[in-house]
Amino acid sequence: MHFLSRTQVITALGALALAVLVLDLVRRRRLSEEYSLLWLISTAVIAVLGFSTPVLSWITRTLGILGESSTVFAAGLAFLTAMLLYVSVRMSRLGFENHALTRELALLRFEIERLRARAGDRPGAPTGGGEGA
Amino acid sequence: MPAHDEEASLRATLDEVRRTPAGPDYTIDALVVDDGSRDGTAEVARQAGVPVLRHAVNLGVGGALQSGFRYAVERGYDVGVQLDADGQHDPAYLAALLAPVLGHACDISIGSRFVARSGYRAPLARRFGMVLFSGVVRLALGQRITDTTSGFRAYNRAVMKVCQFDFPRDFPDAPLLIALSRRGFRMREVAVEMRERQAGQSFYTFGKSLYYPYKNLLASLMAWLQRPA
Repeated sequence: MHFLSRTQVITALGALALAVLVLDLVRRRRLSEEYSLLWLISTAVIAVLGFSTPVLSWITRTLGILGESSTVFAAGLAFLTAMLLYVSVRMSRLGFENHALTRELALLRFEIERLRARAGDRPGAPTGGGEGA
Repeated sequence: MPAHDEEASLRATLDEVRRTPAGPDYTIDALVVDDGSRDGTAEVARQAGVPVLRHAVNLGVGGALQSGFRYAVERGYDVGVQLDADGQHDPAYLAALLAPVLGHACDISIGSRFVARSGYRAPLARRFGMVLFSGVVRLALGQRITDTTSGFRAYNRAVMKVCQFDFPRDFPDAPLLIALSRRGFRMREVAVEMRERQAGQSFYTFGKSLYYPYKNLLASLMAWLQRPA
């Protein structure tokens, strides 16, 4: 068994640091479990590609890529593209939801103002029971 | 009436609407949707005694209309009319706009500047856009709609029911017309004259003028491809 190369050590440490960071973000509820899965998968891919020379060279040969480093870059780019697309989709959905909520809020606010006016209660006045219906 | 920062012109427009006589078979109620204005738009409407829906943030004309449709559907209105707050649209044409919808000749009527020769001259870039999207709509619908961007329209209850949940977000024109037509709604153009806006800012800005054609072409294509739900 040969000693680990410098690249392998750096990759291993990098992957480990990323994994710890992602898990810690989940623990502190700064990152939802849903997103963490994608990130952890990417961490695993980094670890495998960086660490295992046989796997990397096998993938490189199978895909007909010229150099091993290109495979690593291609994997990174693929991941980034997937992640960005996913984030765009989520953002669009959030936009739609926001949009719907804003409209709902406007209608509710209108109803409240109407009910208040009917109860003879001026907006901003201290809350007390409305006199009469 | 969708309104975004229109305090300068809203009052006059509301007065005009209020002076518009009801028809033999309809009465007119006004509603202002204040689309996240930072000025006194909502206050002006309230002083005029007109109900106001206030969006906490700016959603765009489409969002404002959607709120209006929801309001109209919930309260059992038969027809909703969209009218700009800036005074471009003369409520005197309300009767003409309402006639085909009330008479069940169509589901949506569109007040158009171009059916009859009017004095309206748009800037060159905008004219190009109008011709382009009129062509797109014609291609998709097989029907000639000369003024796809017109914000002076009447929608019947069936259309409002669909649109209160499913509506283009920012600018409801060519893609909306295509989507509605795909659902089997009939539309018709009514000749109106439009005036210059009285005050305030148009929705068209330079940045949007670049993005808008792209977005609209894509949305038109998607509206055409989508199977009606």
